[in-house]
Amino acid sequence: MKFPYIKEAVGNIFKNPVTEKYPFKKVELPEGFRGKIEFDETKCIGCGICIKVCAASAITKTVETTREGRKICMEFNMGSCTFCSFCSDFCPKSAIHLSNEYSMIKTADENNMIVKGSFINILPPKPQTAAAKAGEKKE
Amino acid sequence: MLDKIIEKSRIKSPWIYHVNAGSCNGCDIELIALLGPRFDVERFGVKLTGTPKHADIVFVTGPVTAQTKDRMLRVISQVPDPKVIVSLGSCPMSCNVFKGSYSVVGPLDKWVPVDVSIGGCPPKPEAMIDGLIKALDILKEKRGVK
Repeated sequence: MKFPYIKEAVGNIFKNPVTEKYPFKKVELPEGFRGKIEFDETKCIGCGICIKVCAASAITKTVETTREGRKICMEFNMGSCTFCSFCSDFCPKSAIHLSNEYSMIKTADENNMIVKGSFINILPPKPQTAAAKAGEKKE
Repeated sequence: MLDKIIEKSRIKSPWIYHVNAGSCNGCDIELIALLGPRFDVERFGVKLTGTPKHADIVFVTGPVTAQTKDRMLRVISQVPDPKVIVSLGSCPMSCNVFKGSYSVVGPLDKWVPVDVSIGGCPPKPEAMIDGLIKALDILKEKRGVK
């Protein structure tokens, strides 16, 4: 009589179960995992290329004019994201980075779905027109 | 006394039901991986049921298409109270890349009250376990068991 898998069957008796005891034991993520977006507002220039390439239109940009200059606020809605990493690939200043964080849970009390960042963009002074220059000269 | 014991033991075995409301199958596959030997949520007493009438927690995937909307509502209304509705992935939360489509009728929270939303496209099974633990806490609160 033949027992084809007897070696494996006996070997498995002395092995640990394959189950990962997840909430009690942290996991190691593979390299290049695309998780929650990290936005560096100091690098951003507000060009809006990330908004153009986003297939799920998860990125919104709001502009507010304040006394110091234009206040630009970028908002990334992770509840709408596909994690394609196009935004970080196309960002000319590499201000967007997809981090290792995978746990994004929204309940009535807590909401960690939205990544926000705002910065103040000061426009260069307007070049003087020819007419204004001529007026200055006359005076 | 006996009722209290039953209430407490019901928390220890929450059964889940999975509704596919037009999903691309990505989240569904990850949910099945959750029930397999590697992640094995049966450690928490969770079991996938074939009928909504036995379920405590409902997992909804997909951006709720016009075709599935009525059936989804009918299925969810068959789940006995107290129930916890968990939305899985980006789609039920915001319709993801399908938003604005003629055949998609809005995010899930337009139709039913969603208790827990798990983000990701698809979410990692670990993230699903995190969400499931949150859902269990909510179920405990709804049942009035501490």
